[in-house]
Amino acid sequence: MLEKRVKDAILRVRDRAADRGVQAAFTLHREDSHLMRIGNSSVSLSTSERLTRLDVHVVDGRREGSHTQMTEITSADVVEAALETARAKARVGAEKDYQPLLPEVRQSIEEEPQLDPEVTGLDPAVKAEGYGEIFRGAGEEYNYSGSWSSGQTEVYLVSTANSNEAYHCGTDWKFSVVLKHPERKWELQHGQTGWRADDFDPQLSIDSFRRYIPIYAQNPGIEVSEGDYTVILGAEALADISAMATFTGLSGRLWEEKLGWTSGSDIGEKILGGNVTLVDDPTSDLTFRMGFDGGGMVRKPFTVVEKGVMKNLFYDLSTAAKYGREPTGHDTGSPSLVLHTGSGPQDPLEAVRGLGKVLYIPALHYMNMPSMARGIFTGSSRFSATMVEDGEITGPIFSTRITDTFQSVLSSMRTLSSEAVSQNQSNTYARRSPRAMGVPSYAVVEGVKITDCADSF
Amino acid sequence: MEDVSAVEKKVRQNIGRIMESGAEYVDARFFETDRDEHLVLYDGNLEGNDTGFESGLGVRVLWGGAWGFAATSDPEGTEECFDAAARNASTAAELVKVPISMGSRQPVEDSWEAPVATSPFDVDLADKLDFLQGIDGELAEDWIVRRMVRAHLQDRTVHFWNSDGSRIRKRLCNVFGHMIVMAPDRDGQMQRRSMVLYTPGDGTRGWEMMTRPELFASHAGRIKEELGQLLDAPELEHGKRSVILLPGQGHLQVHETIGHPLELDRILGYELSYAGGSFVDLDSIGKLRYGSEKLNVSSYGSIANAPGSFGYDDDGTPERDYLLIEKGILKNALSSRAMVDEANKRAGRTVFEHSGGAARATAFYRAPIDRMTNVNIQPGDDGTLEDIVASTDDGVIVDNPTSWSIGSNREHFHFGCEIAWEVKDGKRTRVLRNPTYQGHTLDFYRSLSAVGDSSTWRVEQVDNCGKGEPNQVMQIGHGVPVVRFDDVVTGERG
Repeated sequence: MLEKRVKDAILRVRDRAADRGVQAAFTLHREDSHLMRIGNSSVSLSTSERLTRLDVHVVDGRREGSHTQMTEITSADVVEAALETARAKARVGAEKDYQPLLPEVRQSIEEEPQLDPEVTGLDPAVKAEGYGEIFRGAGEEYNYSGSWSSGQTEVYLVSTANSNEAYHCGTDWKFSVVLKHPERKWELQHGQTGWRADDFDPQLSIDSFRRYIPIYAQNPGIEVSEGDYTVILGAEALADISAMATFTGLSGRLWEEKLGWTSGSDIGEKILGGNVTLVDDPTSDLTFRMGFDGGGMVRKPFTVVEKGVMKNLFYDLSTAAKYGREPTGHDTGSPSLVLHTGSGPQDPLEAVRGLGKVLYIPALHYMNMPSMARGIFTGSSRFSATMVEDGEITGPIFSTRITDTFQSVLSSMRTLSSEAVSQNQSNTYARRSPRAMGVPSYAVVEGVKITDCADSF
Repeated sequence: MEDVSAVEKKVRQNIGRIMESGAEYVDARFFETDRDEHLVLYDGNLEGNDTGFESGLGVRVLWGGAWGFAATSDPEGTEECFDAAARNASTAAELVKVPISMGSRQPVEDSWEAPVATSPFDVDLADKLDFLQGIDGELAEDWIVRRMVRAHLQDRTVHFWNSDGSRIRKRLCNVFGHMIVMAPDRDGQMQRRSMVLYTPGDGTRGWEMMTRPELFASHAGRIKEELGQLLDAPELEHGKRSVILLPGQGHLQVHETIGHPLELDRILGYELSYAGGSFVDLDSIGKLRYGSEKLNVSSYGSIANAPGSFGYDDDGTPERDYLLIEKGILKNALSSRAMVDEANKRAGRTVFEHSGGAARATAFYRAPIDRMTNVNIQPGDDGTLEDIVASTDDGVIVDNPTSWSIGSNREHFHFGCEIAWEVKDGKRTRVLRNPTYQGHTLDFYRSLSAVGDSSTWRVEQVDNCGKGEPNQVMQIGHGVPVVRFDDVVTGERG
């Protein structure tokens, strides 16, 4: 629950602005963030930040201006000053050739769909002990790194468009641990995510490491030749590929402006394989649930691709205004993408039995797009990437680059796992915006282009 | 906004209090003002008209060989902020294998200001918009379907105090400019050309830099013309050839494959879980042949006017001008006090004489980490761009990145660029579209065969270098000349 004095200060300024005919929206973002970073098997940094940001957005005819103030809301004067800064900018700003839209809270919401006070106040000692247990369980002869971000986020949105209020409070955490062999330099990684403190289980990380350590210890690295391969994409790689494909192909802005890889396609056309269904589902517990967006829209499940067919596009407020479309509730840093599962077995190795040589790439490092218009992406393997022959892992592979297209990879998935997992895709740039995706635990993809391989991990 | 002298009094009292309670080192950074402004004209519409203001305190405590950090934007929260940082550190100390040490330093009392004639925040918004709209008008053509002109402006005043007794005030100011034009090519795919405001390395870096035509505005006509040439151009075919990097591309090559792998915290393994490691290790310093004899790379580089010039780093160390790579041999790294201390202890010898002055934090609510300063390739003696083209049998000139993807230890890379010009038998022949190239870092730099003279050198500005957990976006400069590499894999296989 937002502090009453803060809420009162914002509402007083909002109401006064409405009385004067000012069109303004106010967003308060407050975070309690904690991060423990591990390096060389030690805690290398432990941080706490309690930060409050107030965003004020003003629409003045066809002009707009905005101001963000990082500050404590000690009185209505603080809010008023931020409003006046945004108004001054809007007054001077150039007129647009379309009518901008002011955020409008469509219905009052007060939600705490995923809130665990234990995460808000998670003691760093708990994190240190969690890492210590993993070090002891997987072997103290290795070098460990990692990070564990946790925190609580509050978002409060009101505007002069009406008297509604939208409030969200939630907790989230993202954990990773990297095990590195001190001499041979191979790296294994395990990640966990959740919004409840109890969701963390160090044994999962220990078990994952114990599974891969013998494979890396007993086999030399394999340099993969260029060519087309059948590849098991792990959940992290699959999430990164499908998220990038979604934001560059299914964003209304990029589609309207012919910038994305779907610019030659229309709604109703098949753009991906028949086993691809992508939904933005803020009701899914595999994601971080946010019930409204920055434009004040109530967020609901929204299908963008169904059985490979493009069904809808995401329209944020400014794109909707510019191109005369309806906003779809996607002014958010916390989308809830879900890629539907298939019917494959839980064990990916079972899914590739009889397929000969297959690469297993759990995660892709540093993905980017040499051509957004053509859907070309590139990225390289990292962490626990292996060669599989007839369903058995035969050894680790060196850092291996995939350069292919979304259209090809997401149309060539012969098997999708029947198990759904949550992949945390949050970063900690700027403000806390938890973001997770629900994906099958793996996909088997045929004909993936491998374009380079290093001679090291 | 709080009065600085009142803040200083509280901070000094708390530094003393935490040191007396058992800390080994404490520092505090108070951002008196941290202002930024984004102005974006997109297709003539003012789509970005945003300002931001931050002020607050960040506190770092070293306790039992471990770091704790806390930050607050609440002026009433100073004491609690120090306590939280100390608690974080003392908890962290329970899990420490290699205790961190900051060593001891003579206290510094100084003030530093970026060379600025006119702060961008002293210029009327209307005048700034007039200037950007002037460029936008230059870019507008019927056949250009998208155009963007952007200004990103920063002005911050930071006060630093530490338990060494140092007291430093610095004012940093950055002005970034960017323009882009786009049009569909013959296959209906969008092509683009862009220009980023660069600095000559000297002079001042306030709003006046933005309005120097040769650094930015006067390039509007050139990028339009080059975009027009791209639309009907053939694609770059897959194959090995020489690649000549103009500074618009060369700076990112340096950034990703020299700058990041030489950050000492990456070398020591402190970024493994997110950004990655480095193929460089401590034994490489002084021995590793990183590139050909033509490769000389400096940190800071005595460049007065660049985003990587900041007077003192966030350990209180003065910026240092030194060579990272000399005649192709790796000599040094980008470093901070704690990382240098740890590296020397781990190596059992003095690998680094002193901190490289590269501890930087992007905001009061982020802890300093090892960052790039200005990382620069020194000008060479292979003449002008035309001279280098004249000595190239089979190659491409490339400019401005569209995409960059680097291996986790920076051992290999893949870049996409906006434009290429084919070079055959010493002559530019035609424009090529969708150029890409890839390589392995050491093989690539060892194939460096030409380095342009000072007429080809300029400082490219980077305003979006991301690193660290929690993540930090930093501003950096790269002085680079025109450079040529041989036998590079270019283009994509069909």
